Amino acid sequence: MRRAGFGGSPAEVAAFAALSMDAAVDRLIHFPDTAQLEAGPQLTEDTPRKELRAMGLTTEQIKALGRAHFENAVALMEWWLGRMIATPAPLQEKMTLFWHGHFTSAYEGKGITAQDILTQNQLFRSFALGNIRKLTLAVSHDPAMLKYLDNRANRAQHPNENYARELMELYTLGIGNYTEQDVRESARAFTGYTLDADAQFVFNGRQHDDGAKTFLGQTGNFTGDDIVNIIFRQPAASQFFAKKLLEFYVYSEPEPQLVDLVAEQLKKNNFELMPVMSVLLRSNVFHSDRAYRALVKSPTEFVVGSYKLFSLPPAAVEQPVLGAMTRMGQRLFFPPNVKGWDGGASWINSGTLLTRENLASALCANPQMMQTATWLTQAGSLEPKTLSEHIVAQVLQGDISPASRAQLDAYLSGAGTAALAMLSGENFEERIRGAVYLAMATPAYQLA
Amino acid sequence: MKAKTAMQTRASFLLGSVSGLTVVAKNGDFFGRALAQAPLSGLTGPADDRVLVLINLQGGNDGLNCVVPYSMPQYYRYRPTLGVAQNDVLRLNEQVGLNPNMKSFKAMFDKGQVAVIQGVGYPKPDHSHFRSQEIWQTADPDGYSATGWIGRYLDVANLPKENLFNAVAVSPVLPELFGSRTVDVPAVDGNLRGYGLNSDRRAGGAAAFRSMLSDSAQPFSSPYLGKVAEIETNAQRGSEELPKLVAGYQTDAQYPATILGRSLALAAQMAGSQIGTRVIYVAHGSFDTHTNQKATQNRLLEQFSDAVAAFYSDLAAHGNDKRVLTMTFSEFGRRVAENASGGTDHGEAAPVFLIGGGVKGGVYANHPSLDDLDNGDIKYTTDFRSVYATVIERWLGRPSQGIIAGNFPSLPIIAA
Repeated sequence: MRRAGFGGSPAEVAAFAALSMDAAVDRLIHFPDTAQLEAGPQLTEDTPRKELRAMGLTTEQIKALGRAHFENAVALMEWWLGRMIATPAPLQEKMTLFWHGHFTSAYEGKGITAQDILTQNQLFRSFALGNIRKLTLAVSHDPAMLKYLDNRANRAQHPNENYARELMELYTLGIGNYTEQDVRESARAFTGYTLDADAQFVFNGRQHDDGAKTFLGQTGNFTGDDIVNIIFRQPAASQFFAKKLLEFYVYSEPEPQLVDLVAEQLKKNNFELMPVMSVLLRSNVFHSDRAYRALVKSPTEFVVGSYKLFSLPPAAVEQPVLGAMTRMGQRLFFPPNVKGWDGGASWINSGTLLTRENLASALCANPQMMQTATWLTQAGSLEPKTLSEHIVAQVLQGDISPASRAQLDAYLSGAGTAALAMLSGENFEERIRGAVYLAMATPAYQLA
Repeated sequence: MKAKTAMQTRASFLLGSVSGLTVVAKNGDFFGRALAQAPLSGLTGPADDRVLVLINLQGGNDGLNCVVPYSMPQYYRYRPTLGVAQNDVLRLNEQVGLNPNMKSFKAMFDKGQVAVIQGVGYPKPDHSHFRSQEIWQTADPDGYSATGWIGRYLDVANLPKENLFNAVAVSPVLPELFGSRTVDVPAVDGNLRGYGLNSDRRAGGAAAFRSMLSDSAQPFSSPYLGKVAEIETNAQRGSEELPKLVAGYQTDAQYPATILGRSLALAAQMAGSQIGTRVIYVAHGSFDTHTNQKATQNRLLEQFSDAVAAFYSDLAAHGNDKRVLTMTFSEFGRRVAENASGGTDHGEAAPVFLIGGGVKGGVYANHPSLDDLDNGDIKYTTDFRSVYATVIERWLGRPSQGIIAGNFPSLPIIAA
């Protein structure tokens, strides 16, 4: 659940624990209809700055629209984090997050509106476990992407190769599997993939270069869609997605043989993801020792997992959490660059680690966020060892060293404080908060 | 490695194995101060308190509109709308001048505090942001080094191990150039906000149990466990120490209210507090101006210029301007011809600035020719590894061998 989703509330964890592995994977993969969840937040209309100046608005009016951008950004982040917390289909959101970090676009500059970026997010969700080739075609027509990588300005007379290059380098093949000439030729094929007056995709034949292009050894009057289809016939494409999926769900630097196996699955299934993930999540590799806590939780996983740990509702996501996410290195809808987030070791440095711990501390200290009575009721005892057993099970799934466990017991017993040794009605409140915080600040809680 | 094949297949690449300072042939009479024959003045053993500040102009700063070759008619032919008018250029010499939004930086140039190295790049340039940043940060265009060029310096510099602030990144994410086998570089934000454990106050009594946070003896093995535990130990100690160490620094300098301004203010504070910091990294951008370049780049260059000027006036007021050298870099310059969107696409060579009281100000190396392009891009005239070798040898006082692979002569740009 940590790796295929975002962890679970105590109730969800208990429900999953009762299932066989096959049944649990089936439940994750064949996720329920999520149409009852909000498809997006309320957005304020935001017109790109450049157009505003052209419209002759006053500075004051432009400032007001800058506020709209900020408010939309907050609304989008709160909505998505809330959805990740509330969804009965965690793998759908986890895949949406995967695609957001893969086919990156940012709600920043380039005339990208909040609606554009929301539409793109909904596209990722609708393709969560769908066909990767078809998703790539849809991304090539997606308004946010056409703006983000400038393909809307890619014209026969003035090719702009930004999208064509990143399509191969970062989205499908990886460096070394194409030449500079392939970039230039495919940029020609994508000429005329632009936006109409309503900022919707349109193929503008007058801006399209319909001459012959030679791309990855084939020659024809290719369009951008042809380019995508040729790309997905390259062996490098299945290798590329296999490695990326393994690094996101299993462990970093997967063995080449393992990448080959997953790549075979992708090819065999014509890049349909559901059957591939079904195999992967059931595989001995996914359940191996090497894969156990072998990933660093992203800030999103850390935040959503912590909210679920406290069984909090989506409405509990508030602005201070968004600020902490920025300092942890992940602002949803604002990937740092077109490569997305590097993940893995890059999530961890002194600054980000301290922010994680401070967020855990703030959550534990806040009676709105953490109900000590619930923890006490579930533990069923005020006895320090029983209580610490419960906390370690809930927060760390039992993963603690004997030395740290002894420390946690000692903390709950009142060692090192002037207070009574026994947990009591007077001090249990503070002690339980402190103990849960300590568990959330251990190394194991940073790993998925 | 597969990746090499892509670079090897780059069409019409002409420079071959040019290394170091050698200059692309037939650059005409368009030159700055000649460098190639300048004698190396020997490795001076610099004082131990020298500081290097690196400013990453992220996204690919357009060199041609930053240091404008206003005397080249081709420049205006390639850039009919984006070209900076001759009369607006802040002239550095008869050939080039600064973007008009860099007035405070021009004033520093006039005081001899800025060295402009023209046409800095490397053979077989890559056009990807990520690969190019990686190349500039690892100084390894031919391979995939796991360490960064500053990280390798830190590995051999014999700086006191107990000092957690030998190098500091003022950045939410640790840049690759600090990748080191031995040193964990802290990443902090300009306000030092969030660099500190405020949990003990809230979860009262937990302070005594902090060692749990760096306990690597877990009942499972994970490739990240040791790293998390180690960084936790450093973070706890470092975040307690750093604010105290720099708290005594007083300044009247007026920094612009930008992230770069705030970051450089902290850099001045660290440099002025004598805490042993040798390298500080800050970032500015994004300069990825595919569309509507003029407004974006002008704003960013003005921010850069004002922040750097405030930084050096702060340093000078404390007598530190001669012990702090600042170097800029960016992953690439941009295509010579403007595109149809009022912007420029990814290009190749671009100028690098070395800034501070310790530099010999001026314009160095030949400006790349605009008549002899590499697929629409200017060709480099100085290898970036020569600039790095300069900084390592002549500023940080270490041989560059072992830090920079290959043989790249350092440049006589640093006053001994």
